[in-house]
Amino acid sequence: MRFALSEDQALLQRATREFFAAEFPMACNRRVMEADGPGFEPAGWARLAAMGYLGLTVPAARGGQGLGAVELAVVLEEAGRHGVPGPLLDVMLAAALLAAAPDDTGLLADVLAGRRLAVLARADALYAGAPGPAATFAGGRVRGTKYFVPFAGSADALLVTTAGEVVVAEGPFAAVPLPTFDPAQRFAQVDLDRAATRLGPLELLEPVDQLAAVGASAMLLGIMQTLLDTTIAYTRTRHAFGKPIAAFQALQHRMADMLVRTEATRAAVYRAAWCLDTRDPDAALACAAAKAWAGDAARLVAGEAIQMHGGIGFTWELDVHFHVKRVKTLEQHYGATSAQLERALVAAGY
Amino acid sequence: MDLQLSPAHLKFRDELRAWLRANLRRSWHDELRDPAHDENSLMQFRRRWQRMLHEAGYLGLDWPREWGGRGATAVEKAIFEAEMAAADAPQILNTLGIGLLGPALIHHGSEEQRRRFIPPMLAADEIWCQGFSEPGAGSDLASLKTTAVLDGDHFVLNGQKVWTTFGPWADWIFVLARTDPRDRYGGISFILCKLDTPGVTVRPLRQITGESEFGEVFFEDVRVPRANLVGQIGEGWRIAMTVLAYERGAVGLAMANRYGRDLGALAAACRELGRTDAASREKLGRLVVENEVLRAAGVRMLATLAEGRAPGAESSIEKIMWSEFDKRFRETALDLLGPGGQLLRHAPGARSEVDWAREYLWSRAGTIYSGSSEVQRNIIAKRVLELPQDGR
Repeated sequence: MRFALSEDQALLQRATREFFAAEFPMACNRRVMEADGPGFEPAGWARLAAMGYLGLTVPAARGGQGLGAVELAVVLEEAGRHGVPGPLLDVMLAAALLAAAPDDTGLLADVLAGRRLAVLARADALYAGAPGPAATFAGGRVRGTKYFVPFAGSADALLVTTAGEVVVAEGPFAAVPLPTFDPAQRFAQVDLDRAATRLGPLELLEPVDQLAAVGASAMLLGIMQTLLDTTIAYTRTRHAFGKPIAAFQALQHRMADMLVRTEATRAAVYRAAWCLDTRDPDAALACAAAKAWAGDAARLVAGEAIQMHGGIGFTWELDVHFHVKRVKTLEQHYGATSAQLERALVAAGY
Repeated sequence: MDLQLSPAHLKFRDELRAWLRANLRRSWHDELRDPAHDENSLMQFRRRWQRMLHEAGYLGLDWPREWGGRGATAVEKAIFEAEMAAADAPQILNTLGIGLLGPALIHHGSEEQRRRFIPPMLAADEIWCQGFSEPGAGSDLASLKTTAVLDGDHFVLNGQKVWTTFGPWADWIFVLARTDPRDRYGGISFILCKLDTPGVTVRPLRQITGESEFGEVFFEDVRVPRANLVGQIGEGWRIAMTVLAYERGAVGLAMANRYGRDLGALAAACRELGRTDAASREKLGRLVVENEVLRAAGVRMLATLAEGRAPGAESSIEKIMWSEFDKRFRETALDLLGPGGQLLRHAPGARSEVDWAREYLWSRAGTIYSGSSEVQRNIIAKRVLELPQDGR
């Protein structure tokens, strides 16, 4: 029994950490996020593809790395920690979904190679509680409107959920940008009325949803770690009343709580990943719990990070807000908290 | 990563499960709500239960065999606690003797002390209580004032201990007493005292539950043989720290099992009461989620132990997690159940699956005893985050 990563997993973690530190320094990430462009840098994206990250969990027989959810969590934790912008998680999930069905068009191979970009188009509404009509698929055409489609403006293919199945529509798409406060993400609305091919039944989404829960939670974990580290570093150097503010117990206890939430998230994320990889009967519950918990925990950590930085924490200049905004995206997408709570209850038999 | 128990640990767990199936006639909740029981008979029941476990070889699991243990590890101990919780088995009576004093004697005691004290401790023939806290020394334990003055081959004890768990039920107490007023940490010694020694007075304290599980102990010129000193004079603080690390232990998994059982009961009660609206589902969902996270932390702790590493500040994280969750859980349970949740267990119409009222009150203790949440946060701030210490 061992919670620590295996030798290979630790190697992946180290290599990924070095890769992101070298290729995606925060100063560059900021430029990409602040620019009006696609929200990721093509050269960097090509290197991610070349490193094999996009098909991490895709079986080797389908051109991927054949690794598991634990490795996915390792990579996405680092992506979160380094503030890597762009559709990494989205494309990993699309690749996992494509790998669950036969690939007649070579789309999966192109996605893994970084030649084409595919993402899922799920949301039928802008706001909670007001679901619009589901997209339809009939006579080889998909019709309907999808919201919050990640990086749709750059997408070559959308994996669209309809009332009864998942279909593949090829781009380019007339994407109406839906700018949110999170510059790490580019969302769009896509009005669909075009030819599409059936990928498979909606049941294909279940394992992808669980992977999404683990992946998004792992990114949240990485972001929480960065925010905690940043906050500790700042409070150690910032002096008030003649001493570093980190010496005040009022702040120490709050930073201790940030650590408790972060470490609890780490346990939950990696246990969920392990349960997925081993087909443990607790997998569904563990994945839902990890995502619901990570969303709540990251709220606290993000809020405390801004508060303890004081005025500077409210400035655009500091990196903190980029991480805080991403937290909100990750919390409300990839299976929002309310949906995960219900999934957890169902998985527990309640 | 590998979160599966080893074959040997699985075998241990399965044997324990079989033993529990054969020997645990009624769950602890069933004992509690039996109107024939009073506080005293419940204590005697726990004494008998402890003897059964001892005879089956399940106590002192991680102690050396020569001292009545099993020579196993902290992993078996954590599995034992988790299975006991899952089966809703009663707690043993001598929790403080076996949980705290046993390890202290094994690590720091003399051979004579181990021979004298460990067998009756395991057999529940001598029940121990813990004399650490004082009216003026709680979280700031090192400011304790009870004195032990050497007079020939005896110590003379004077002072007062408080919040002494099991005080009213115990035969012996292990006391932290000051042997040197000038040395804050090095002036504390660890002394064993029989509670019927002349000059000792034990007074039960009534708790918010109405029970008197703890009490206060007064020492007035109490003469204790020098042979009852554990370790050397002035080693008491060091011994206490060893002991407290054991006390915090690896209990996350056991707590998750215990809460998991009660959560199942709460979910069933909600269904029965028609509390299935979205707001109620969300409340219940958050409890289920947090308990799963606690379970994950417990599994991580178990894996840490299995790798042969001693948990450090992780036990502070775990303690905050389970004790703070317990409060949220019990509070939310009363929200979901409504006023009936406050009924005492023998009240007409009181639900029987869990004593919700008692658990609600008890949840207030967990964040205070064994190092309050505030002390745990201090430990994390200092040892994990290494934040600068406030130079008062």
